[in-house]
Amino acid sequence: MKTEIVTLRINGHQEDVLVRQGQSLLSVLRDTLGMTGTKINCREAECGVCSVEMDGRVVNSCLVDARMAQGSDIVTIEGVQEAEGLDILQQCFVRHGAVQCGYCIPGMIMAARGLLRENPRPTREEIRQGLSGVLCRCTGYQKIVDAVEDAAGTLVQTREGAI
Amino acid sequence: MTVHKRRIVGNRLPRIDATSKVTGAIVYGADYARNGMIHGAILRSPHPHARIRNIDAREALAAPGVFCVVTAADIPSERFGSFVKDIDVFAKEVVRYKGHPVAAVGARTREEAEAALPLIRVEYEELPVVATVEEAMADDARLVHEEWESYEANATLVRRGNIANHTRLTVGDADAAFAGAWRVFEHSFRTNLQHPGYTEPRAAVAEWDQDRLTVWSSTQTPFEQQSTLAAIFRIPASNVRVSVPAIGGAFGGKLRIGVEHVAAALARKARRPAKVMLTLEEEIATGYCRQPAHIRLKLGVDRDLRIVAKAGRMLVDCGAMSGSGVGVASSGLLMLAGPYVIPNLAIEGFAVYTNKAPTGSFRAPSGPQGNFACESQMDMVARELGVDPLEFRLKNIVRDGDKGPTGQEMGTVSVEECLLKAAEAIGWDKPVVEPGRGRGIACGWWTMTGQSSNVFVKVNPDGRVVVNSGCAEIGSGAITGAMQVLAEELGVDLEDITVVNADTASTPFDFGAQGSRTASMVGNACADAVRNLAAKAFPVAAQIMGVTADSCSFGYKAIVSGNQSVPLAQVAASLQSGAGGLIAEGSYIQPGTPFDKDRTSGMVIPVVNSPSYHAHAVDLTVDEETGEVTINKYVVAQDVGFAINPTYIEGQIEGGVIQAIGQTMYEEIVWENGEVRNGNLTDYKMPTAEDAPEVVSILVERAGLTGPYGAKGVGEPPVIEPPATLANAVHDASGVRVTDLPITPEKIALGRVRGN
Ligand code: FES
Ligand code: FES
Repeated sequence: MKTEIVTLRINGHQEDVLVRQGQSLLSVLRDTLGMTGTKINCREAECGVCSVEMDGRVVNSCLVDARMAQGSDIVTIEGVQEAEGLDILQQCFVRHGAVQCGYCIPGMIMAARGLLRENPRPTREEIRQGLSGVLCRCTGYQKIVDAVEDAAGTLVQTREGAI
Repeated sequence: MTVHKRRIVGNRLPRIDATSKVTGAIVYGADYARNGMIHGAILRSPHPHARIRNIDAREALAAPGVFCVVTAADIPSERFGSFVKDIDVFAKEVVRYKGHPVAAVGARTREEAEAALPLIRVEYEELPVVATVEEAMADDARLVHEEWESYEANATLVRRGNIANHTRLTVGDADAAFAGAWRVFEHSFRTNLQHPGYTEPRAAVAEWDQDRLTVWSSTQTPFEQQSTLAAIFRIPASNVRVSVPAIGGAFGGKLRIGVEHVAAALARKARRPAKVMLTLEEEIATGYCRQPAHIRLKLGVDRDLRIVAKAGRMLVDCGAMSGSGVGVASSGLLMLAGPYVIPNLAIEGFAVYTNKAPTGSFRAPSGPQGNFACESQMDMVARELGVDPLEFRLKNIVRDGDKGPTGQEMGTVSVEECLLKAAEAIGWDKPVVEPGRGRGIACGWWTMTGQSSNVFVKVNPDGRVVVNSGCAEIGSGAITGAMQVLAEELGVDLEDITVVNADTASTPFDFGAQGSRTASMVGNACADAVRNLAAKAFPVAAQIMGVTADSCSFGYKAIVSGNQSVPLAQVAASLQSGAGGLIAEGSYIQPGTPFDKDRTSGMVIPVVNSPSYHAHAVDLTVDEETGEVTINKYVVAQDVGFAINPTYIEGQIEGGVIQAIGQTMYEEIVWENGEVRNGNLTDYKMPTAEDAPEVVSILVERAGLTGPYGAKGVGEPPVIEPPATLANAVHDASGVRVTDLPITPEKIALGRVRGN
C-alpha cells in the first residue's frame, strides 16, 4: 500500500503522520492519532459529525484526503477548550441542556464556531441554516439553537465590552 | 419518600456528563480501541431469499492484511432471539433477507477487510421471495422459516407459519355492539419503516482471554448481551463481560445484539481483539427499524357520541426475524384501543415474517403506528358526525377510576388535562381565518418498562459518592435524573456524585436503558440505597452526637439530629476505618400490573404499565399548490408525573417530536422486491436544524404511583402522537386526508387533485 508522510498542525501542535493512499483526514485524526473527539458516521459528507476547522474553514474531515491537508492548520474539538476551562460555546451548550447523547456535539460546536466567525449576530433562522450540515437525532435542535444564540450574545458583549 | 425538600430534584441542573461531551473527551463505542486490534467487515447476502450452496474463502484469506474469515461454521450454537429463537449470527443454509450476514473478514484495517469481502465466493440458489405481508399471509405462502415449528419460543406467543405471533384483545361482544350502534365507521391505515437514526453507528470491540470474552459496545442492554453472547459461544455467562462506553444515541436500535457477536467471532478466530463498526449503508439497510403496519379499524358510536365498540386488525411487518414485532403486535392493540372507555373490543394483531431486514424496538414500539390509526380515526369520525374532534375525545377518554382495555387499574389519569392544555396553547377555540391553515390534535398513553434496577452506593471518606449502576446512559439524561434523586435523598450535590455504569463485571444487574424506565427505576433503586445507607450511618452519627439513631436524618452533606449535626464525610471516614466503609446496595423491582387474562391471547405486553398520558396539537399551513407543509406552532402537553429535571424532559419532547415529524413527513426506508431503494442519507432524509420547527412543551405533573416523587416515563411518549396530530391538521388545512405515512407534499397535492 502506498504511504507518504504528511505534516499537519493540529490544535497548534505539529504532527508528522504516515498516511495511506486515500486515507481521509478523519481517519488520520481518529485511527492514526487516536484523537476520537472528532466523530465518524456516514463517511460521505452527509451528517457533519466529523466537522473540523481546516485553515479557518469548517470542513467534513471524512471527505478531505489527508495528503491534501499537507501543511494545513487543523482545529478539532480537542483544541476548542481554553486554558481557563470551557470556551463560551461549550459553556452555553452545557448550560442550555443542548447535549444529549453528545455524539453530534463536537461537529455542532465546530459548525457553530464557523458560523459565529462569519456572522457574529445571527438570527435563530440563520443559526438553523448555519448548523444544517450537522445532523442531531436527539435534541430536535431547539436547545442547540438556544445555546448558540446565547453564546453569540455573550461573545458580542464581551467584544464590545473590550472596546 | 419525603416530598418537602426539593433542593436538587425539579431543578434544571446540567447533566453529569455534559462537560466531557462538549470537550470530545468522552469515549463512545465507535471510538473504542484496543492494542493490536483488527477490524471486521461483514459479507452480506445479495439476495432476499436463497440457499447457500458453498462458501469458498481461500482467496479472501490470502488477501493483504487479512487475519481470518468467519462463517456459520465458526459459531458453536444454532440460533438466538428474545421471544423466538429465530436469529443466526451468520446464515447457515438459507439467507432470509438482502443484507443477511453470511461471513465476516478480520483484517489489519477496515479498508483491507472491506477489500477482501468480494473475494469470498458464495454460491447461492435463489428462492422465491416473500416481499410483503399480504404475500406472507396468503394461504399458499412460501415460508420465510421452513422450520419455524422447531424454534424455541416464548410460551405466550401464538405462532403459525409466517405468523410469529397472532394476538387478540377481546372485551364484551363487539359484533352485537356494532349491530346496535347508531353509526359505524371503517378506515384503513399504513405506516412506514423508519430508522432510529442514532448518529453513532453500531460498533463493538471484542477480546478473548482463553474462554473469557470481553465486549465493549454501545448497547442499551449489557446484561442481555452477556447472556446472548454466552449462549452463542456456549460459555458460562460469568465468562462474558460486557462493558458499555458512551452511547451515541440508540432509541431502541441498540437494544438487541447487532455487531457484538460478529466482533467476538472474529476475535476468537484471529486471537486478537477485533472491532466491527457498521457503515451507513449497512445501518440503513439492516438497522433495527420501526415496523411498518397495515391497520384496519372499525368504530361504532351511539347517539350520545359514546363509543360502543371498536374492532380492528394490525399486520406488523417484522422482516425476516420476529424480533420485537411480536411485542409490537401486543402493545399495538392497546394503542389501537387508545385512551378511551370502550365496552366492546375485538382487535387482533399479526406479527408477520417477510424476506426483509429484521426490525426492532424503536422508541415507543407500536406507539406511532397504533396512535396514528386510532387518533386519525377519532378525527375522521368526529368530522363526519359534525362534532368538534376535541369534544368527541373528551366524551370518551379514560378518567380516574376507569379500567384499561385488559381490565387494569389506570393509575392517575390526566389525558383530559393534557388535551385541554394542548388545545388552549394552540388556540383551539379561535377560528382559523387564513386559507391553507389548519389545526390538529391527538392524545395517547404509553407504558413504562418495569423489571428491576439495582445500584451500589459508596460514600467516600471525603463525603463524595460513587454509584455503580448496571444501567447505561443512552443520551436522554435519565442517569442524571436518577442521580438527582440520589443527591436529593442523601443531601449531597449532584457534582459530588460519580457514576460507574453498565459493566456486567462490576455493576449490579439492571434491566437496561429502555422503555422510558431509567430515571424512575434507577432513581427508585438509589432512594432504596439511601435507606440502607441510613441504617449503617445513623448509629455511628448518633453515637458521635450522643443521640439515638432514630432521631437522625440526612441533612446537607451531614447527618442531623435536632440542632446537632455531624458531617457525612466524618461518618464515612469513621465507617471506612472501623467497619468496611459506608456502602449500601439499593434495589427496585417493579411489581407486575394485574389484568384480566381472559381478554388477551398472544399478548406478551398485555398492560399499559405505569401509564403516562399526553396530547399534542399543531397549527400548520399547507401550500395550496405544492402541498408543502409549514408548521407554525407545535405544542406538547405531557404528563411526566413529576419533572425531575425539566430541561432534559423538554429535550426529550423536542427531540422526540422532531424525530417523529421525520417519520410523519418524509422518512421512509423503501423496500421493493426484497431490496432497499434508498440506502444513503441523501435519499433517506432526516430533519436538519433548518427543517425542525420549535416545540412548546407543557409539563403536566400528575403524580404517578411508580417513579420517584411521582415521576412517570418520559423518553418514548413524544414520538407517539405527531403522526396523527399532523395528519389531522393537514386535513383541517387542506381537506386532504392522508392515511398512509409519510404525508408527503405529493400525496397532499394528489389528494387535492382527486378532490379527497
Ligand atoms: S462522517 Fe463526515 S459527514 Fe458524516
Ligand atoms: S445529541 Fe445525540 S445526536 Fe445530537
